Amino acid sequence: MTVTTERKTVPVTVLTGYLGSGKTTLLNRILTDEHGQKIAVIMNEFGAVGIDNQLVIDVDEEIFEMNNGCICCTVRGDLIRIISNLMKRRDKFDHLIIETTGLADPAPVIQTFFVDDEVRTQVRLDAVITVVDARHIWQHWGAEEAIEQIAFADVILLNKIDLVTEVELETLEQRIRGMNAIAKVFRTRNAQIETAMILGMNAFDLNNALQIDPDFLNETAHEHDETVGSLALIEAGELDGDKLNAWIGELLRDRGPDIFRMKGILNLAGEDCRFVFQGVHMLFDGCQDRPWKSDESRTNELVFIGRNLEQMNLADSFRACLVAQNAQV
Amino acid sequence: MASKTKDRDLLDLQWYTALSDYITAIVWSPDGTWFAVSSAAGEVVQYAANTKTVTVLQVAQGKSIDALAVSGDGVFLAAGGQAGAVLVWRLDGHIPTQIVALGHSHIWIDRLQWNPHHPELAYGFGRHVRVWSATQQSEIAELNFRSSSVLDLAWHPKGDRLSVSGNQNIKTWWRHAWEDTPVVQQLGGASEAIAWSPDGQYLASGNNDRSVMVWQDGNPFPWQMRGFPGKVRQLAWSDPRRSISTPLLASICGEGVVVWTKDRDPSIGWNAQVLDFHQRSVRAIAFQPQSLQLASVADDGWLCLWRKANRLTQLFEGAPTGFSCLAWQPSGKTLAAGGGQGEVLLWTQTTTGQGFG
Repeated sequence: MTVTTERKTVPVTVLTGYLGSGKTTLLNRILTDEHGQKIAVIMNEFGAVGIDNQLVIDVDEEIFEMNNGCICCTVRGDLIRIISNLMKRRDKFDHLIIETTGLADPAPVIQTFFVDDEVRTQVRLDAVITVVDARHIWQHWGAEEAIEQIAFADVILLNKIDLVTEVELETLEQRIRGMNAIAKVFRTRNAQIETAMILGMNAFDLNNALQIDPDFLNETAHEHDETVGSLALIEAGELDGDKLNAWIGELLRDRGPDIFRMKGILNLAGEDCRFVFQGVHMLFDGCQDRPWKSDESRTNELVFIGRNLEQMNLADSFRACLVAQNAQV
Repeated sequence: MASKTKDRDLLDLQWYTALSDYITAIVWSPDGTWFAVSSAAGEVVQYAANTKTVTVLQVAQGKSIDALAVSGDGVFLAAGGQAGAVLVWRLDGHIPTQIVALGHSHIWIDRLQWNPHHPELAYGFGRHVRVWSATQQSEIAELNFRSSSVLDLAWHPKGDRLSVSGNQNIKTWWRHAWEDTPVVQQLGGASEAIAWSPDGQYLASGNNDRSVMVWQDGNPFPWQMRGFPGKVRQLAWSDPRRSISTPLLASICGEGVVVWTKDRDPSIGWNAQVLDFHQRSVRAIAFQPQSLQLASVADDGWLCLWRKANRLTQLFEGAPTGFSCLAWQPSGKTLAAGGGQGEVLLWTQTTTGQGFG
């Protein structure tokens, strides 16, 4: 048998943001920053980016359906093709950035990295970064794309903060928190941020601890005037594996299109290790994590980001998966 | 080596060379006297089969060449790639001459094929297919696939029609009436690869929804083969044989090769056999001409020969980071394979009784 060396997958950052948010400024910054990484960029809008030594490729967005119109089974055909061509080169790059158009739906982009078996062996999704124009986002709340770009994000750059007051900024940040309780939020001017802060996040790595924004949990009353929001469940107790499986299965089947992302740490009955999971629409990925520490409280923590979560009765149906108290020995 | 194997069928490593990057394509001339190789660095090199005389048609450019094709008469070689250009060389003189460079914009060209009977080159260009005639030195048709970018294209063995695949369907245009509406075959997903059987009886499609579909010519209702663990990336038909009524269809998906045999009972359809050996993604498969022997190469660095497309009889190494492509000489006597670091290797049939001890 030949022992082939373990090939490393290349991390991919997806950069989204509504038109004029400062996305291109951020991209230029990343490309010119002295980080020593060789970066390839796939763009859907051919901008004025043209940097020596960096590979910039322009493609047209193409959505491929895999299962008769189910939104969870849509992928980006253009990305699949370009990535498999790009990965043939010997002078491979260290990081791939995909800049989407302001109107792109982030879901098919993200799903591409989980659904396509060939893409999955070559690259891995690092994080979704969304740039938000702090001044003009108010005009875009009606646009589904603008909302979904925030909801799917791992990192949100509140950009152009010099153009708004502190009070406006606070209100905006609260509103964004209500929509997405797991993203890291940075306030920037001119998209000024250190590249190291946003590349190499490993946001889709299951073993990366779930971080729910403490402010989100501490708030006593969330304002839910949006249809898109976050919901966190924190419950002590052990879970019945079979009940949990049935619950998640049913939830994703019936509500998958409305659940954008979910992440969690679970305490399964009879297991000494934590169980961690994440999902994008109907795609679900879970595995056993490290053992629970002796001084750690075995708490189940789940976060959902989606549309009309209130109507899903998540808290009660989740509690029904706990092992009944009197059954515990 | 297994004693049942006939010695005359065994292959031996004959020759080795290297280009500067991942080998993207290898093609043989129809008479088997030369072959051409392209790389991800943009090289296009022609080699004489006997003397191994090298003719560099294009040096490394930094932009990849992704597809090569030789015309049915062996006179023309075409190449396309990342630069968005299609290059055509005339190879029947003393020195190869580049006769055209069809320049385009930033659209990556990775699918091109000559009509088997006429010097007409079809190539995928975004959502379109262009057909260029070497005789007229001009474009003779532009076909709008519409549904998506062109993912694959295949001429019927008779050369009378061209099938084009992409998202949701396959469209087939007749050569005598390019402007007519194409025949459409619907799919649930996107067709990544299509292939006409050499007898022209069957059109097969490998799809991203983990299925293979096969249409018998003239029948609108396809067979559907499911159960693949991932998308089906390449297909290969065996040449017609007297011993079997329908050619075998080989398909690749992930690390697996699946060979389909049509059952005599029409109600059963096609039977699958999984050829299980490769540990990483299979990159290419090809039947030996006039034979049922199948060759497969994979990212795991192995080249496998499967006797009658079912029993593993020979294994070769030679590309430590994995093989990328392969091509049989039309006589079936020599097999060429390319590797991920620019390796080009040739294996030739050993003469009776020699080679293995």
